[in-house]
Amino acid sequence: MNFQSKANKYVCPNDRQLSLRAKLRTGWSAARSEPPLTTSEREAIAAVVKRAEKLEEVEAKRVGRLVARLEGMRRSAQGPAPRSCLLCGETARLLSPLRTCSICRHTACSKCVIETFPYRKMTNGRPPLYSREAYMCNLCAETREMWKKSGAWFFKSLPKYILPQRRATGRYNDTELARSLQDAGNSSNDGKTDSEPGSPLSIHAPTFSRQPSNTDSRKSITSPHETHYEWSETDILSHGFSGLSLHRADSLTQRPLTNLKRTGSKGSAYSLRSIRKEIPKPVDQIERPPMIPDAGFGTLEIRLAYENSTSSLAVTVLRARGLIGMDMTGLADPFCRLEVLPREGAYSNRLRTKTVHKTKNPEFNETLHFFGITESDLAVKSLEIVLFDDDRYGCDEMGSATVSLRECTKSPTQLRLALLGSSGAEPTGPRILLALCYSTKRRALVVNVCKGADLPPQDSNGYSDPFVKLHLDPDPYHKKHKTSIKWRNLNPVWNEEFLFETRPTELSRQNLTLTVWDKDYGKPNDFLGSLVLGASSKGRRLKHWMDCIKFPDHRHEQWHSLTDTQHL
Amino acid sequence: MAKTYDYLFKLLLIGDSGVGKTSILFRFSEDAFNISFISTIGIDFKIRTIDLDGKKVKLQIWDTAGQERFRTITTAYYRGSMGIMLVYDVTNEKSFENIKNWIRNIEENASADVEKMILGNKCDLDAKRQVSKERGEQLAVEYQIKFVETSAKDSLNVEFAFYTLARDIKAKMEKKQEASNPPGGRSGVQLKANEQNRKPTSWLARCSVL
Repeated sequence: MNFQSKANKYVCPNDRQLSLRAKLRTGWSAARSEPPLTTSEREAIAAVVKRAEKLEEVEAKRVGRLVARLEGMRRSAQGPAPRSCLLCGETARLLSPLRTCSICRHTACSKCVIETFPYRKMTNGRPPLYSREAYMCNLCAETREMWKKSGAWFFKSLPKYILPQRRATGRYNDTELARSLQDAGNSSNDGKTDSEPGSPLSIHAPTFSRQPSNTDSRKSITSPHETHYEWSETDILSHGFSGLSLHRADSLTQRPLTNLKRTGSKGSAYSLRSIRKEIPKPVDQIERPPMIPDAGFGTLEIRLAYENSTSSLAVTVLRARGLIGMDMTGLADPFCRLEVLPREGAYSNRLRTKTVHKTKNPEFNETLHFFGITESDLAVKSLEIVLFDDDRYGCDEMGSATVSLRECTKSPTQLRLALLGSSGAEPTGPRILLALCYSTKRRALVVNVCKGADLPPQDSNGYSDPFVKLHLDPDPYHKKHKTSIKWRNLNPVWNEEFLFETRPTELSRQNLTLTVWDKDYGKPNDFLGSLVLGASSKGRRLKHWMDCIKFPDHRHEQWHSLTDTQHL
Repeated sequence: MAKTYDYLFKLLLIGDSGVGKTSILFRFSEDAFNISFISTIGIDFKIRTIDLDGKKVKLQIWDTAGQERFRTITTAYYRGSMGIMLVYDVTNEKSFENIKNWIRNIEENASADVEKMILGNKCDLDAKRQVSKERGEQLAVEYQIKFVETSAKDSLNVEFAFYTLARDIKAKMEKKQEASNPPGGRSGVQLKANEQNRKPTSWLARCSVL
């Protein structure tokens, strides 16, 4: 293409060259000594640019997260007021005087400031002893950090950023849980659940390009604040975590709660006999849809076969359908525990199936054998099947069914059973009564350790000296609390309240860990039981935790059974 | 986002064609060396995350083509970079003399408070040396820029150079923050302004409507 390479570029080109140039439309510049880029070069550069864009997007998202974090802080701040903390609104007290931020000149309590030292006065990396302490409120510190981390310090304004979408803030998705729980229940109300596309709150935040001047950049920080921060903390408090407006959220969140709460009262309607009556003949069982009324806890298919010669009962647990969700994703890890009732003496012959993970419709396909069951037993005994959710921190009952052994007197029988809700709402065994309350005023999770019951005895006197240790994990403040020791008591009443400073958005990522110990002098304390509440927990514990987040400033009291696994 | 970082610094390598910019970057990012010369097409970048005083710093290092014909493309990347490394070849007198031109280029195109550094590459080739270390140092003093002789082939001072530049940028950042509290102070004031304005304006708005 370089048609004038040999010609002197400062000499007027000849006619032939001029006409050639006119055809090429390359303009009239005489200084066109560089050959234009070839297509392969162009492609190479375009590939690099594309790679850079990808990186830039990651960076923009990171900056967006920083911006969102700061905005969240700013929103949750109480605002400046005389003699009260800028951030948490705490008023000055004798032991915790308010500090003045050296940057914004507002007052903040000692928990909301960090100590800094004027840069110029730093000598040998250590602050001089005589200089007055300087404080910086968390808001200014965070702003400064954001300014540094985003690179705005260099570019004099915030670079391009993409605000995180609402989903990204909470690690889990509560709507899904609610929906799955709802589906497990009577799935009569459709249309209410599809919150994603049309919901007024699911606005995707736009990206803001870098602004040239400082004032503009400030605008670009504040403008998303006004329009796209519907999901930030205060909102979560009022709307719950689902992307629905207030009343809809309520209607939706109440539902799964009632599902979970539904206990023996409703379940008693479907007594043993009434189930059996409604079960169709086993021959046409397989093809037909479940005729039995579904109590909202799903159905279970089993096959019973009695072997006369060995006097054994073979129970094949085939599958379960439509179980209730137990974890944050609305799934469960079910297993079945089988027992022939009534028991003979103290001897218990419980059997359990394997756990099928992460499903609401598990395929067990497992045969379990009960031995030593006589033919006369068949007339009087019954088989109890309880479904549990497998969890490291204690198993929650997902439903149960009882079937009389008379069913299998003649031939192998295939049955489809409706599962009933858990027999009792309150757990048995070692347990603890907890009251959780997120106080928006104090910006803290208030945990009231009310009482314990049926704690295991660990001392030789047949009692224990229990106390509870509790902490949040992860907790930026690393707060740990302990209750008092209740001496010689297996049913202690503590009624002690503890505060964990946290934010509701953080709460969904944190776990409250409680451990109950028996105080011993001269030897290590004995472990009595533990409990973990959090978004990653399941069943009752998850429900309690979510209730606490969804309905702040309310006391949520609930019994929890303690597990003997020490998982610290 | 498991692999997250605290800061992102954008660096730029400039210098004449064939001085070893790509080799230096290759050494730093992959810790490898390629003897064959492949001219860079336009621009390229590599990434390496380093640890500076407990902070994870992601370095995005732009490698430019030294050739004249890519100049328009490469100069576009000056403005966005926080640190620039000027590379010359100790076995090539011309490339050393051109450093002045490159510095002028930076002054024209890059941001004013960009952090600079001069690298005299190929210092392993002592036999062919044309530019002494003293001359390099003298030039650096003249412009008040840090200077170091490197060898991408022998992996000499390459890490050191990048770490020094990154540390300088970080120090500059801290200094800027501490010295003239611009963002912090502004945000505080801004917040105050917001808080105070919010209610009164709504009142005023209502009044004007009425």
